[in-house]
Amino acid sequence: MGAVKRNGLALAFGVLFAGTLIAQAFVGLHDFNADQLAHHGDPITLWRYVRSSEFAVDVLENWQSEYLQFTLFILGTVWLIQRGSPESKEPGKEGRESEEEQKIGARAEPESPKWAKVGGLRTFLFSNSLLLVMGTIWLWAWLGQSIAGHVAYNDERFEHQQDALSYFAYLGTPDFWNRTLQNWQSEFLAVGSMAVLAIYLRQRGSPESKPVGAAHASTGVEG
Amino acid sequence: MHRLALALVVLALAGCGRADDERAVSAVTERFLSAVDEGEGEIACAQLTPATAEALEATRPCAEAVTDLDVSPGQVTRAQVYSISAKVDVGAGASYFLELTRAGWRISAAGCTPETRGAPFDCEAEA
Repeated sequence: MGAVKRNGLALAFGVLFAGTLIAQAFVGLHDFNADQLAHHGDPITLWRYVRSSEFAVDVLENWQSEYLQFTLFILGTVWLIQRGSPESKEPGKEGRESEEEQKIGARAEPESPKWAKVGGLRTFLFSNSLLLVMGTIWLWAWLGQSIAGHVAYNDERFEHQQDALSYFAYLGTPDFWNRTLQNWQSEFLAVGSMAVLAIYLRQRGSPESKPVGAAHASTGVEG
Repeated sequence: MHRLALALVVLALAGCGRADDERAVSAVTERFLSAVDEGEGEIACAQLTPATAEALEATRPCAEAVTDLDVSPGQVTRAQVYSISAKVDVGAGASYFLELTRAGWRISAAGCTPETRGAPFDCEAEA
């Protein structure tokens, strides 16, 4: 029970993710089969649908934008300041900060992770591991979106007796960029609005908020 | 490194599945073309989707109408499969669009030739 309580945030969102992904599969299947009927086609099974490019592109276009959001937010908050926001560092602390502030190498503490202490390539990689992993997942998910999207797009073209496009031609289509940009705009809106709204609004008990009694001008404090 | 290897295995397996589909759609198209060429209307109609066969039955049974289609037999030069749709190009210059139905791959549009670039093909028979 202790482990569940200590990992409540990850578990709760893991369950929410699994539940909504399963729900998306069922709803997506019904939507796909409605389109099949409209084109005089046969409905497909759930098992076929979850292995289809149509389902894959609908999932991956959202995953890639989420990881882009985190990648840019992590990167941006190294150098950019938002006065009054709990999402920002305090003015004057822009940049990668000192080894003492970051507890690296000789400035590491006994309980610091090993790769924070050892120096060299390992410390460099560990120092940038969050950005590297988020950025890598974003790129792979975007690549996956493009591949699945290309297949789903040409499936649609064949349904209308049109010729298929090559993968590289697909990368220049409005379909690819519509899927990409509709997701990007919402991610950037979410991060921007969180950074600004949290200057003036509070949520008692959440580390995403400043303490209820904190001044609007106080930056980089959490509740 | 393990993730990359897994991704490559998945891609390879997907490639195998697609090769099977390419063979299947080629076989359906060839079966259709030889049936039309030999006047076997019932066999030819059995290679069509129900909607396409029904579209041919405007004035007479599919088995009669299908043998009058202006389609020429030929070797399959290219088969492309994307999800549950496919296109087969035949040596005579025509293309055939197929769909994966409950009964397997079936031709949804036959004897198709390209019109203006990007526009739908003009087909002898379609749903």
